Amino acid sequence: MSATMELAPRLSSASPMTRAWRRFRANKLALIGTTVVIILVLFCFVGPLLWRTDQVTVDLLNNNQAWGTAGHPLGTDALGYDVLGRLMKGGQTSLTIGLLAGILATFIGTCWGAIAGYVGGPVDAVMMRIVDAGIAVPAMFLLLILSSITRPSVPLMVVVIGLVSWLVPARLIRAEAISIKTRDYVLALRAVGGSHTRAVARHIIPNTIGTMIVNATFQVADAILLVAFISYLGMGVQPPATDWGAMLTKGIQYTYAGYWWLIFPAGLLIVITVCAFNFVGDGLRDMFDVKGRAS
Amino acid sequence: MRSLPIRVLSVAAAAVCALSLASCSGTPTTSPSGGTTTGSNDKAATYGMMPSQGPNWLAPFNPADKMITANSSLHQLLWVPLFQYDGASGTMEWDKKGSVASDYSFSADGLTVSVTLGSYNWADGKAVTTRDVEFDYNLIKYNTDQWGSYSQGLFPDNVTSFNVVDDTHLTITFDKVYNPDWIVANQLTYLVPLPQHVMDITAVGGTVSDNDRTASGAQAVYNFLQDQGKDMASYSTNPLWQAVDGPYTVQSWTTDGAITIVANTKYTGTDTPAIKTVNFKPYTSDDAEMNDVRAKAIDYGYITAAQMASQSQFTDLGYQIVPWAGWGVTYAPYNFANPTTGPILKQLYVRQGLQQAIDQPTMVDKIFYNTATPDYGPVPQGIPSSFLSDIQKNNPYPYDMTKAAAAFTDNGWTKGSDGILACTSPGTGAGQCGDGIASGAKMNLDIYTENADVTTNEWSYIKSQWQQIGVNLTIDSTTSQNVLTRAQECKTSNGATCTWDMVFFGTAGSWYFSPYPTGDHLWAADVKWNCGQYVDQKAFDLISATLTSTDVTAGQAYSAYLAQQLPVLWLPMPAYQISVIASGLNVGTQDPGTSFMPQRWSWAS
Repeated sequence: MSATMELAPRLSSASPMTRAWRRFRANKLALIGTTVVIILVLFCFVGPLLWRTDQVTVDLLNNNQAWGTAGHPLGTDALGYDVLGRLMKGGQTSLTIGLLAGILATFIGTCWGAIAGYVGGPVDAVMMRIVDAGIAVPAMFLLLILSSITRPSVPLMVVVIGLVSWLVPARLIRAEAISIKTRDYVLALRAVGGSHTRAVARHIIPNTIGTMIVNATFQVADAILLVAFISYLGMGVQPPATDWGAMLTKGIQYTYAGYWWLIFPAGLLIVITVCAFNFVGDGLRDMFDVKGRAS
Repeated sequence: MRSLPIRVLSVAAAAVCALSLASCSGTPTTSPSGGTTTGSNDKAATYGMMPSQGPNWLAPFNPADKMITANSSLHQLLWVPLFQYDGASGTMEWDKKGSVASDYSFSADGLTVSVTLGSYNWADGKAVTTRDVEFDYNLIKYNTDQWGSYSQGLFPDNVTSFNVVDDTHLTITFDKVYNPDWIVANQLTYLVPLPQHVMDITAVGGTVSDNDRTASGAQAVYNFLQDQGKDMASYSTNPLWQAVDGPYTVQSWTTDGAITIVANTKYTGTDTPAIKTVNFKPYTSDDAEMNDVRAKAIDYGYITAAQMASQSQFTDLGYQIVPWAGWGVTYAPYNFANPTTGPILKQLYVRQGLQQAIDQPTMVDKIFYNTATPDYGPVPQGIPSSFLSDIQKNNPYPYDMTKAAAAFTDNGWTKGSDGILACTSPGTGAGQCGDGIASGAKMNLDIYTENADVTTNEWSYIKSQWQQIGVNLTIDSTTSQNVLTRAQECKTSNGATCTWDMVFFGTAGSWYFSPYPTGDHLWAADVKWNCGQYVDQKAFDLISATLTSTDVTAGQAYSAYLAQQLPVLWLPMPAYQISVIASGLNVGTQDPGTSFMPQRWSWAS
């Protein structure tokens, strides 16, 4: 109790950003998650500039080289690609799709949920029944059908994953919007003749930023997992492009051959990335959460 | 009441005898299927079947949707064909032990074949006669619309008369002179004597008569047999399916596809089974089957090519690994009808360049782990045969990246800044791109392939090789059904949606042949599976000659010409399956025609 009393004056003197950062920093796992995400991004996007490998030309004569082979610290795969370089290339695909699909899903979900929550009534009912119906259809099922009838590519997978992942954010934002639209500042805006568009764009959506950002991090993690699932089922991006899920599914066939370097690195990177984004999400939630805040 | 003690005593006596024999027969050994064997063929053998490849139809005639080879393979064990062709001897040839016919000869004019039947009895003791062959022929003749093996113009359309001379001799006359080898191997192999005295009925409990000799009667009998065939639960009990002359009968058949066959104790042929009981075990995934192999739960199964990287996990369990070469070829058709890329693909130098950029022996070694065979033409190369020409055998276009690149650069193509070849010298003269190819046309190709790991590796390699000579290949992996649908697209849409350049449906081999490997279904004019719409009159004539010429070298001429003309991209032929066989189980030569032939398996003593 006394600690809270001592803390209060210090918090009140700091800027909102400083206080938010302090709350985020208090979550050690969030800090670790952020560090890991930064390292992964550097590994995937800067790594290839330092560790140059040919990820286009197949080298059958040097396939399935063991880890520690000269020039191939993590060995080579069945087509002779350097596994370390392949992890970087695959990571580019996984992270790109994950980030963009997560952002797309959050954007759509936010707009949909904010409008539904703000307008309310029959419009809300119809919009949310659409969300309910969408949630009832398994995303994996849709993705596999699409993958089998179209040529999977990074842009296509971003769009498709984004389009099947916006439903949950829509529900969350709607709940926030219903609460915010009754606040005084929104009512005041309407009383002085402010438009509905302005209310939604300037007041509802900005005030859901916390929920939006937290949700976006989880969406990114989910999208990375979804890409891995699809690739694991053999419906991912086409060669010579790859992603961690595709690497894992190829490597798993060599389990009994003891080629662990084809399995563990890709599998671990998927796990680490998903965990890292979830930790960051937890930290952001703490940062934006007003409950129990001293000021 | 008195029979019970006698039966009990008999069983007890048998048990004592069995124990005595076991104790005197040396050290028992453990077999992979878990049982203890004393080296006796009384021990059952268990065969693991690939997903969706197990028998699923027992009636003698396969409908179009039940044409998997396992059905025919099982039928041969129950009803011996008139002529059996297989590769059990190491070469594809007439297998007399597995045939009812004991001899045949052609008339001087080449139109009529005379067939002599060997000595076989049905399970009820009655002799197999020419009437039984006629019964089968009549059912086929009057039910071609339902018979899965029917091709218009071929058997039985090409038969003008079928005459029974006596119980063991018959003659069949054809509408014109055909290649005798083709007639026997690809046409007469459709005939399977069936027990007319049992099956010539139209209802359960019906009276046997000569129903088959009229069109309506034959149709009624055929429909009755097919209806009976739909009842899988009765496969082991229906008297129709117990009337057999083959080495085995069905003991049990569950609806999930598990089958047990036992030796036919009334069998009178010379192909007597050594192993009395064989179990066929179905699987829904490769992993499930391989787990059973690892658990030593099956004696004869298969593994995937990727497992060849760790063979010891199976050999250490006492299995031997034997790739089962199939009587087929593997290829990727070019789409000559594509309005954009068709003119490019029609140029022989283009196809030569693409073929020469592929190192098949290295693919076989590194992608298929030596379980495939290089394939340079239209005749199967993994199995010795008289159909294979030296030109095909010796590969007319060996791997040579320099020559592959020169094939384009010598004919008006130049690599652009993007690394892709473009036609810079259009025209039809020497050193020019060729007819129908505009200036600036680029070597961009796409392919629809099946989605399988080994196939992805195969096409990743080809893409990489072609990229080095300036050919840009886009790979589109999809389901087998999608690939097959695409393959027919340009033929069914009159070119409206004809956009594919290449397709590949050869993950497990593109085409498995009848014993005489002609191209009449693949590269003849207007046939369904000439999906790339290849047109070459000389090729058509050579294919026609394989069917009609009495010249035994007709097959070789066809083999040589299509190996040189490259109507498709020839690719390694993967094994039908990579078999794992329990030590002590001798299965002989695995039939390239993909028949199980368990009557020739035996346990080592």
